[in-house]
Amino acid sequence: MTGPPDVLFEIAWRFASLSLLAIGGINALLPEFHRVVVDVEGWMTSAEFADLFALAQLAPGPNAMVVSLLGWKVAGVPGAFVATVAACGPSSLLCYFAMRRFERMKRAHLRGLIQRALAPVAIGLVLASGYTLAQAADRSAVAVVLTAASTAAIAFTRVNPVWVLAVAALVGVSGLA
Amino acid sequence: MDDLASRGAAPAARPHTRLELFTAFLKMGLLGFGGVMPWARRVLVEERRWLSEREFAELLGMCQILPGPNVVNLSVILGARWQGPLGALVALTGILFVPVIAVLLLATFYASVSHSPVAHAAIAAASAAAAGLILGTAIRLLTGARPAPHGLVVAGAVFVAVAILHLPLLWVLAVAVPLGIALEWRAAR
Repeated sequence: MTGPPDVLFEIAWRFASLSLLAIGGINALLPEFHRVVVDVEGWMTSAEFADLFALAQLAPGPNAMVVSLLGWKVAGVPGAFVATVAACGPSSLLCYFAMRRFERMKRAHLRGLIQRALAPVAIGLVLASGYTLAQAADRSAVAVVLTAASTAAIAFTRVNPVWVLAVAALVGVSGLA
Repeated sequence: MDDLASRGAAPAARPHTRLELFTAFLKMGLLGFGGVMPWARRVLVEERRWLSEREFAELLGMCQILPGPNVVNLSVILGARWQGPLGALVALTGILFVPVIAVLLLATFYASVSHSPVAHAAIAAASAAAAGLILGTAIRLLTGARPAPHGLVVAGAVFVAVAILHLPLLWVLAVAVPLGIALEWRAAR
């Protein structure tokens, strides 16, 4: 741990070596990221890690950007970019070549069959993540109503989700939730 | 499908320029409060009509079994499909690298608002609505992609395994994906 280049290199290989393990996204690997940056490297405290995680959840952009924030905390803006590229680069390359191979697969009916089989898996997982988030967020009756109203608005109307989130935030500020 | 027709002679709607591709993914990235996936479905399926509900669900499944963040994989796959390797980079830049800059800006003054009770109240309420955003998207996918009965069984089993039983995702996928393919294969015969 001497100069910034060393730190950047350390971030790069630590994060890149986790990239291909991130099945289910970065969140599936959070315990491992925590182990590396808090316990092994001592780059930050557990509380700082939790703060950055919360920030990544509420900020726009993929929740995976928690890795950018981890890199930022350790080595500023260069750290953020090195961390992002290291964590997403190898998996993106694999995805690119795997998909190119898959889309050129000779047996079209087998390809269609695999694709059709994956759609229900995706739907089950989306439902599960919505349910899990709702359980965490719905700590009051008003919060439950907000979740239900937002579910209905998205499922049955074409209202822009920005308004749904904005109205909910206003309800929160008004002290009702 | 009016805007499909107005797009000209293209057989299926798709981005015709890199700018079009970039702005679509930038929109998902910058608006993606409470998760990008609901926004990806809205922009790709409802607004631009580049994908059908079913195609979106199928692609999302593909992204979930590959390592890496789902929406990042989604931008790689779609960018490459429509505009080659450079298209993948363009889509990635829109959904990931530009929002990273926004998040770093946010992070620099987050410390000053993180202790404000008003901000906390707003965030807590918005999180409740964000959960609904994802649940509503799941309902849209379910009604739009219309899985066959055996598909509904797979979707239900995955939901119960992950959300209720809290089984590790890797195990759930290791069982659900081959099972789904086997059921689909039997139904196709």
